Amino acid sequence: MTTPLKSDALLVVEGLGIQVGGKRLLRDISFSLRPGEALTLVGESGAGKSLLAQAIMGNLPPALQATGQITLDGTTTCAQDAAARRALWGRKLALLPQEPSLALNPLARVAPQLAEVYRLLHQQSTDSASAQAKQVLSAAGLGGAGSRYPWQLSGGMAQRAVAAITLAGGAPVLMVDEPTKGLDAHWRGRMVELFQGVLKAGGCLLTITHDMQVAQALGGQVIVLRHGQAVEQGDIHTVAAAPQHAFTRQLLQADPAHWLPFALPTLGESVVQAHGISKAYGAQKLFAPLDLELHSGERIAVQGPSGTGKSTLGNVLLGLVAPDTGRVERSARLRPHAFQKLYQDPVGSFAPHISLAQSLRDAARLHRCDWKAVQQRLAQLRVPEDLLARRPDQVSGGELQRIALARVLVAQPALLFADEPTSRLDPITQQEAIQVLLHAVQDTGAALMLVTHDLHLAAAVGTRTLDFAPGNTLACAA
Amino acid sequence: MSSPPESLRAIPPEGGRTPVAWRSQFHGGAEAEPSVPPRPFRWPVRTVLGITLLGLLALFALLGPWLVGASPVVQDLRNTLAPPSAQHWLGTDVLGRSALARLAHAAQLSLGMALLAAVSAAVPGTLLGIAAAWRGGRTERALLMLSDSVLAIPGLLLVLLVAALAPGALWALYAGLSAALWVEYFRVSRAVARPVLAGDAVQASRLLGFGRGYVLRRHLLPALAPTLGTLLAFTTSQAVLALAALGFVGVGMQPPTPELGLMMTEAMPYYEEAPWLIAAPTALLVWLVAAMMLLNPDRETA
Repeated sequence: MTTPLKSDALLVVEGLGIQVGGKRLLRDISFSLRPGEALTLVGESGAGKSLLAQAIMGNLPPALQATGQITLDGTTTCAQDAAARRALWGRKLALLPQEPSLALNPLARVAPQLAEVYRLLHQQSTDSASAQAKQVLSAAGLGGAGSRYPWQLSGGMAQRAVAAITLAGGAPVLMVDEPTKGLDAHWRGRMVELFQGVLKAGGCLLTITHDMQVAQALGGQVIVLRHGQAVEQGDIHTVAAAPQHAFTRQLLQADPAHWLPFALPTLGESVVQAHGISKAYGAQKLFAPLDLELHSGERIAVQGPSGTGKSTLGNVLLGLVAPDTGRVERSARLRPHAFQKLYQDPVGSFAPHISLAQSLRDAARLHRCDWKAVQQRLAQLRVPEDLLARRPDQVSGGELQRIALARVLVAQPALLFADEPTSRLDPITQQEAIQVLLHAVQDTGAALMLVTHDLHLAAAVGTRTLDFAPGNTLACAA
Repeated sequence: MSSPPESLRAIPPEGGRTPVAWRSQFHGGAEAEPSVPPRPFRWPVRTVLGITLLGLLALFALLGPWLVGASPVVQDLRNTLAPPSAQHWLGTDVLGRSALARLAHAAQLSLGMALLAAVSAAVPGTLLGIAAAWRGGRTERALLMLSDSVLAIPGLLLVLLVAALAPGALWALYAGLSAALWVEYFRVSRAVARPVLAGDAVQASRLLGFGRGYVLRRHLLPALAPTLGTLLAFTTSQAVLALAALGFVGVGMQPPTPELGLMMTEAMPYYEEAPWLIAAPTALLVWLVAAMMLLNPDRETA
């Protein structure tokens, strides 16, 4: 473990633990960060990474107790004394929260939410605050989005907007929870540059990520967490090159770059045909007239930067959005609800106020599917049945994505459109979820259309790739 | 109007949490720790206090006229402006009528009418709000124009305009109150329904083949319920105050009906001899509004 150098460290954490009742969720974490230093937390979902950031911030759910000490900029406080650190929020200590859509105020437009930081924290006049907000938003590629409401933004756009708001306070101790989730390679690089800027300016950075490339780009130390314990801690490049703990090796192996391609399926009959479809939003043309045919059993990977219309193409095929030109023909033999979708954010795809069991039962009843069969499917997907009593926000992302899969399978889909279904999962859970998904597709003979930013994932899963890269007239590589 | 306390108590425990739902990331977020059991809900002290105050008031309005027994309109000119006594707990007014009996009848009238007006504003207001969010386009624009034009007129003025159709009649006041109050329900339910209807959850349900009834039942109503509960408490107290204000300036209920605002006006000239006469209806109004405000959970801890 690192010896805390209190004299010049910005953030020192000593013996931090978190428990609820008698159960320990996080035990004995210690580290220190001086100006310009970075630390990355990696590990499975539910290992306590976000809890660690929340404990430092001082906004743990009230039922949880924290032990240990936290020193911020020379002032030591007990981890449990959350109120002591609250005065530092925004000015000294900032958190980029994990769920950007939940972090934004849904009732206010984006630009004023950024401008109020300059106005209230930096005492700028209303005019200069909104001018600066405008400038910062356009630098983040959100020039036109300032006057939109958060729910009108895509996941990646919301992520960038929240990052801009978090950084606007200029806090030297910055914690970022999954900052590159849902971003394509370009914006992921920009986000890393932003954080490197914070480090250069004398700040320190605590990153929670599943993306080892991001972790290595930021450098510094790494803590590998498992079941609330640090199983490995040290320099990121050393750990990545020669992992000591078996779990770290497993984590690194689960990266899609190391996957073997999955077995080729046998193609069946045509499921859907698109003839010369195109779609434009305002002046932005998403895809030129495109012909596409999908067969049952086929797995097509869709790639490209965010905002280029990958999701829209899926929605057009699903019949959720009408194309500007061309037509989509479903095979006539299909059942009415044979086209289903898996969402990037599984929490958002369930009715938030009812239990998961209720959602599943409703779907099973609608499609006259026996509840026993649903239970069997859940067992195959390794979903513990007691989870179903919970509401969607009380279940981890990997489990919820499997429950979402069980729900769409109730409708016996012929086409499954999976819109970055694993981009929010840790590598191990992602590998598991993709395997479960591919088995389900294989069993049911459905066609799979998988949207992903990850080239390696696309290569491992897809039997064909559809590339939305700019300037590329949609190439369909077999 | 059968049981005001019950329908007011029906405000769900998490009432008013929706406006701050975007803070919920601090309480778990997407990477919710599966090992943390959901915390059992505890009623905040202030909500309990609000419910108690409101319950007492509702009991007074419901049973008061019967318990007091005395008629609110029978005059006793030999016993005017009497101070509180064992026979007349709140004394008598200038015409020798029992102030307590008048207060009980006034409370029943005001609370009942306000609740009725709030509910009859809530139902069409909410439905129109959902319709606007659902249909979009022209329907939404037309409804917005209507609501904006209603908003442009001060609430009391609108009540006065409608009430002028039949001066002093109860139904006209009721219609005027509902006509002024529905806009708030419309605006709030439209604002809550829009993101819900645009969200992935509703899209997923539609792809699975669920109809409008399901979306309404499982998605919209649960999202709306806490906000509507909060709003119902606010609009009810708003309606009580509006009724009292109209009575006070003499354009609401007409004498000899016991009505809070009217009672204040009647007691005004005698407030030096009999201050309890004007204090009683004022205290009742303060009591009611305080109870309604306390009902809503503390936003900082919600």
